[in-house]
Amino acid sequence: MKNKLKRAVSYAVDSLGHVPQDVTLVPEDFVTRGISEADLEGNMRPPVSYWSDAWRRFKKNPLAVAALVVLGLFVVLVIFAPMTSGHDAYLMDSLVTNQEPSGSYWFGTDALGRDLWTRVWVGARVSLIVAIACAMVQIIVGSICGAAMAYFGGIVDEVLMRIIEVVSSVPSLLISLLIMMVAGNNMGALLLAMCITSWMDTARQVRGLVKGLRESDYVAAAQCLGASPMTIIVRHLIPNTLSILLLDLFMSIPTYIFSEASLSFLGMGLKAPEISLGTLISDGQAMLQIYPFQLFYPALVLCLIVLAFNLFGDGLRDALDPRMRK
Amino acid sequence: MVKYALKRFATMIVMLFIVATATFFMLAAVPGDALTERTARLPEDVAARVYARYGLDKPAPERYVITMRGLVVGDFGESIVFPGQTVQSVIAEKGPISLRLGFQQVILGVGIGLILGVIATVRKNTWVDYGIIAFSILMVSVPTLVFGLLLQQVFAGTLGWFPVIGWPSGDELMFGGWEYTVLPTLAGSFGYMAMYARLLKASMSDVLGQDYILAAEARGLSKGQIVRRHMIRNAAIPIVTKLPMTIAMCLTGSFYIETIFAIPGLGRYYIQAISGRDVTMVMGFTVVIAAMYMVVIFLTDILYHVVDPRIQLAGKTSR
Repeated sequence: MKNKLKRAVSYAVDSLGHVPQDVTLVPEDFVTRGISEADLEGNMRPPVSYWSDAWRRFKKNPLAVAALVVLGLFVVLVIFAPMTSGHDAYLMDSLVTNQEPSGSYWFGTDALGRDLWTRVWVGARVSLIVAIACAMVQIIVGSICGAAMAYFGGIVDEVLMRIIEVVSSVPSLLISLLIMMVAGNNMGALLLAMCITSWMDTARQVRGLVKGLRESDYVAAAQCLGASPMTIIVRHLIPNTLSILLLDLFMSIPTYIFSEASLSFLGMGLKAPEISLGTLISDGQAMLQIYPFQLFYPALVLCLIVLAFNLFGDGLRDALDPRMRK
Repeated sequence: MVKYALKRFATMIVMLFIVATATFFMLAAVPGDALTERTARLPEDVAARVYARYGLDKPAPERYVITMRGLVVGDFGESIVFPGQTVQSVIAEKGPISLRLGFQQVILGVGIGLILGVIATVRKNTWVDYGIIAFSILMVSVPTLVFGLLLQQVFAGTLGWFPVIGWPSGDELMFGGWEYTVLPTLAGSFGYMAMYARLLKASMSDVLGQDYILAAEARGLSKGQIVRRHMIRNAAIPIVTKLPMTIAMCLTGSFYIETIFAIPGLGRYYIQAISGRDVTMVMGFTVVIAAMYMVVIFLTDILYHVVDPRIQLAGKTSR
């Protein structure tokens, strides 16, 4: 320690009291005074990134963790369960119509003798894929439009804002129904019908956030360094809104599962031979008085998936909200 | 205030015009119409006359002008599927049914929801509170659709307490015939109960931490007085402003309930009109529903200002 200091001093001033011009400093020239470096290490809070911090808080919420586990279970089920029963989802068998649940047909069979266990999981798979696809479209389109609105302002903002105002002045169910009427009952039309109104909320939210962020210094710095608008949006603005978008994504998935089921139930969603939870519930309702189990299983799976998503979403919101940080 | 209202009203007319135009051209793009099937076996000249009867022989731009002119004077045209029916006659006939269903849903749902919200706040962190929260999360996760079917199966099917489908008519249209209305009303209102219970609890919890509550306690007010005089009044703002939106939601939310319980209301008619490709009726109803919806949003904005004068009306402040 003393030697180090001596060396430093000898470099700093020569015998005549002048500071030499050709000093080369090495890390060893710098010493911490008053406190040993070992102490310093111990007193510092280990650096925690935002995401690991959020994960730590999420783990403390038993309900949310349970919901996450259940969701994982459902993912496994919709992928593998249809293969386990040995029955095909579309194969009709007139000998086994309307069977009660049994060892061979775990959820029973429907009016055309198709295995409900397989159909429920295939349907849940379709519903989940539709819901996740819609949520992704909502987030991606919404955040790009919202960021562009806030960033460019002026005419872009004005035009998109007017479009949003007009579309949101009509109940979204009406718009979905009209689109299904024009485009017919197919998957593409369903995606369009469900996404056409939802991206706007995300866009509005992102617009507000980005308007605040745009004034921040690091964006000004990036502009000075010559970054293109696209680079700034993708590199700076979107990452900063990510936690809100992530939350939006998980909160909107159950809504889409609802909408798909409801539209299919009204006869304006997917139609046979396509299977989804909505079409299964709709089929089940026809047999409700005689064979209630045909409605019960798809409805139960629907509710469990939605419940798990809602609980997970609630936990996620608490975990991601920096105001909850202690 | 008046200037703002007038400005908003003018915007509303323009928006309605845009919505009507968009709806018209979307409907013009629908492949096939209700008449295709009806005229399939008719001789060509008769078929042509049927088309002419509904004005469908003209090209789309010309029909557009006729339709828009009709909208301005309040003539929405005649149903293609049910001859003689017009939008007005259907609203006069089915409107009261949907109105009663919606009214009962809102009264029951919001009423019980608010009571649950107050109880959950007063008994905070007890099993009563947890029970109410669990109930509302559960209720939000069970779609109206499934819940309606469940009620129908259990109380109308298995137990046989209520009729499975139907709706009072004649003298009992607006009052009476309760056994028909219980299940549909319940099915629709549970969602609102859950929503309002959560909403009120959140806003009351905010109020709970305020200084004036502490001051009221210090002055020796009883708990009931504090809840009634201070908490509910100050927590009411989000509730009051949410109400119009709930009424608007009722408008489309009832589509499912009317379908499940076979209630001959507007929602069910709209769905039937859409499946039957009844273009004129769909056009008319879309414009009417959109107009109602816009009025409700407009009222919400005004209400915000009336309830809490601190909130500036949109458009007054610089954005």
